Amino acid sequence: MISIRHLSKTFQDPDGSTVTVLKDVNADIEKGEVISIIGPSGTGKSTLLRALNMLEPPTGGEIWFNGENIMAKGYPLDRMRRKMGMVFQGFNLFEHKTVLENVIYAPMELLHFSEAQAKEEAMELLKKVGMVQKADVYPSSLSGGQKQRVAIARSLAMHPEVILFDEPTSALDPTMVGEVLSVIRQLAKDGLTMLIVTHEMRFARDVSTRIFFMNEGIIYEDGTPQQIFGNPVHSATKAFVNRIQKLVYEIDSDEFDYLQIHTGIIRFCIKYNLSDKAEPAYALVKEMLFTHMREYRPMTLRLTHAELSGETALDFMVEGLTSSPLPAGALEGLRAKTRGVVEEPTARGFRVKLLL
Amino acid sequence: MIRSLRYLLSGFAVLSLLLSCKGGDEGTLVLRSDDDLRGLTVACTNGNYYEHKYSAREDVTVFAANSEADALQAVRQGIADVFVSDEIMLSDADMQRLGVRKALRGEESFEVAFALRKGEAVLMRQLNDFIASAPIDGIVAHWIEGAPAVPDAIPAVSPDAAPLRCITCLNMEPVCYFGDGGQWKGMDVEILQRFAASVGRSLEITFQDLGAAVIALQAGQADLVFGCLFATDERRQSVDFSDPYFRCHPAYFVLDKGAASKVSLKERLRINFATENRWKLVADGLLETVKITFFSILLGTLLGAGICAAKRSRRRWLRGLAGLYDDFINGIPTLVLLLIMFYVVFAGSGLSGSLVAIVTFALCFASSAGSIFDTSISSVPRGQTEAGLSLGFTPLKTFAGIVFPQAMKKGLPLYAGECVSLLKNTSIVGYIAVQDLTRASDLIRSRTFDALIPLIVVTVLYFVLAWLILRLLTLFLRKK
Repeated sequence: MISIRHLSKTFQDPDGSTVTVLKDVNADIEKGEVISIIGPSGTGKSTLLRALNMLEPPTGGEIWFNGENIMAKGYPLDRMRRKMGMVFQGFNLFEHKTVLENVIYAPMELLHFSEAQAKEEAMELLKKVGMVQKADVYPSSLSGGQKQRVAIARSLAMHPEVILFDEPTSALDPTMVGEVLSVIRQLAKDGLTMLIVTHEMRFARDVSTRIFFMNEGIIYEDGTPQQIFGNPVHSATKAFVNRIQKLVYEIDSDEFDYLQIHTGIIRFCIKYNLSDKAEPAYALVKEMLFTHMREYRPMTLRLTHAELSGETALDFMVEGLTSSPLPAGALEGLRAKTRGVVEEPTARGFRVKLLL
Repeated sequence: MIRSLRYLLSGFAVLSLLLSCKGGDEGTLVLRSDDDLRGLTVACTNGNYYEHKYSAREDVTVFAANSEADALQAVRQGIADVFVSDEIMLSDADMQRLGVRKALRGEESFEVAFALRKGEAVLMRQLNDFIASAPIDGIVAHWIEGAPAVPDAIPAVSPDAAPLRCITCLNMEPVCYFGDGGQWKGMDVEILQRFAASVGRSLEITFQDLGAAVIALQAGQADLVFGCLFATDERRQSVDFSDPYFRCHPAYFVLDKGAASKVSLKERLRINFATENRWKLVADGLLETVKITFFSILLGTLLGAGICAAKRSRRRWLRGLAGLYDDFINGIPTLVLLLIMFYVVFAGSGLSGSLVAIVTFALCFASSAGSIFDTSISSVPRGQTEAGLSLGFTPLKTFAGIVFPQAMKKGLPLYAGECVSLLKNTSIVGYIAVQDLTRASDLIRSRTFDALIPLIVVTVLYFVLAWLILRLLTLFLRKK
């Protein structure tokens, strides 16, 4: 249905500098697929979506929709967009029209539905998204979640072949995310073709038939949810889907600022809800730096936390080392204080990993 | 409702301010010579001989008003002590009615003549020949001393004849005044009528203050300036004078406390509006003001839409041009622009003052309307456009059906305010001799010397017009 070939997009700032957001995107999307596009911020997920319906015209490559090159000069974009709906992060309901008017406006103007026919269908759609009661109110009196459900109904009213969802829950209070996601879930069950840019990992894993992991302006990894979440090929994908957070210190000499490390660890632990691990982690850092590994400078200290699996670990890495720096007697004591100790060589040196 | 009420309240505030004005309460002044003016405030018309004379005297304060009527009013209100003018300006009946007295008749006398553009030798010769041969003394005697009119009738002139375009700086009996039926009358007018007929031209008279009249004369928009003009040497530097046709003595008028008679409100209304059908002046002025306002708004709105389009254009030079236009319009006072348009840009184009006024106000209105449209459209979030496009509307339909209605809702209050502001600004068109509402009150005031009643009526009329504009635009918005 949609083929993307070597798509690129470069933004030009008024001062003349350029930013390339999409480098070389290639993908084929078939009818009935539900594709979630995930990835770190600023990697071009939304830009890709907005390029697909030409709201953000790409600077290179090709987009084919139903066998036609939509980037060709003179291609009737308005006709194409009737078949390719879009739901925005900011809802973008027409503020001067009621909920019902928002839904019937485009079908009446563009598909030439009679008012009765458009209204009947609109009420059907509003029922589907649970907004029938609010048909005659203006958008300004709706909550964010309600607005987004109306926006979905408005998009559905054009009978699109595919709907693009651009971070549909990012502007919502956490309490309202659920109501919108359940509407999208229902659409997926109905077999509607959808592309969804989202940060809701669990939702992406549950609802999609396919996941695009975008990173650095390309589709870094493309696969089923099982592949992407269970067994990703690239480490960047793994770090992202596990949502691994890091705290890193380079320790060059014995004059390092250990008070700074102390506050850093406490802050990190509070942020990720690990307060009970803060003091034990700091005690271990002190033990390792001042007792077991006192001779190894420079070294890198890293505290990591995978949000999805809940795994927390302290890494101590020394470059150029080929065997474990731990003294013979230390291992027993450390094992008693942690959930496990891993000693492993890395590409550039050796790492001691303490699981907390 | 509350808005209308508030409007009424502010109206009352203005009226009570006007009504609170009262005259001074000193005793009647006695003058033996103009040395006695020491320490007093002398009122006279801006730019005339007396202003020049008394400005040079350090012991006298000069109040230079825009017309004889305003100068006299200053004395009646106690702002000035003495009104200096030509002796013939006020008849005994006038003085009685207005509560003033002639305190002194000046010894010196001045030659009164017609002013022509410098170097108009042919017209000058015709005029001087006429003054030498015509029954001038008879005309003067008729208007000044009440002698019977000169018997021979004024010959009729074909209406197609080239008009002699004259500007009077005076609207006062018996020299030159706007009389019954909208006809100019008086001593000077009769002389000019006879002269024009003798050279086979029709006569066209407009009323302006002296400064504007001289500019118009020099710009070639008028052939002759008159109205009891003194032929002084200073004036000869900028205009040529005909041979004198009259000699005039100055007179010093002061407030006559003893004789001041109270005129009833009904009588004042009669004098200001019923006599000589003066209400027609107000009605015509009102129509003129409405006409200029309406067409300026219409034309200015269209132009403003164009400027708004230029401001939002992708082409940098168009945006620059629109910005330049704004700077240009903002940098010039509306009145100055109006004068430039009339006396420089459209001089000699034959365009009427009303049309020039409409063009000028439209140009000014376009600048502010363009900015209002631009900011209103910008205030509609970009997402509204994107939503429209993503549903499959063309860019044009998206603008017309989604962005524009929302922009209008936001911009209309500002736009309505700008319309009212334009209405009020039109009160300056008198400067280019267009007889609008304000000018109508000027004309009546200069005839009746009553500042209060015409001003109040005009104030009320402007209030009603402004209220109507706001009301109509609000209704228009509700319908949408």
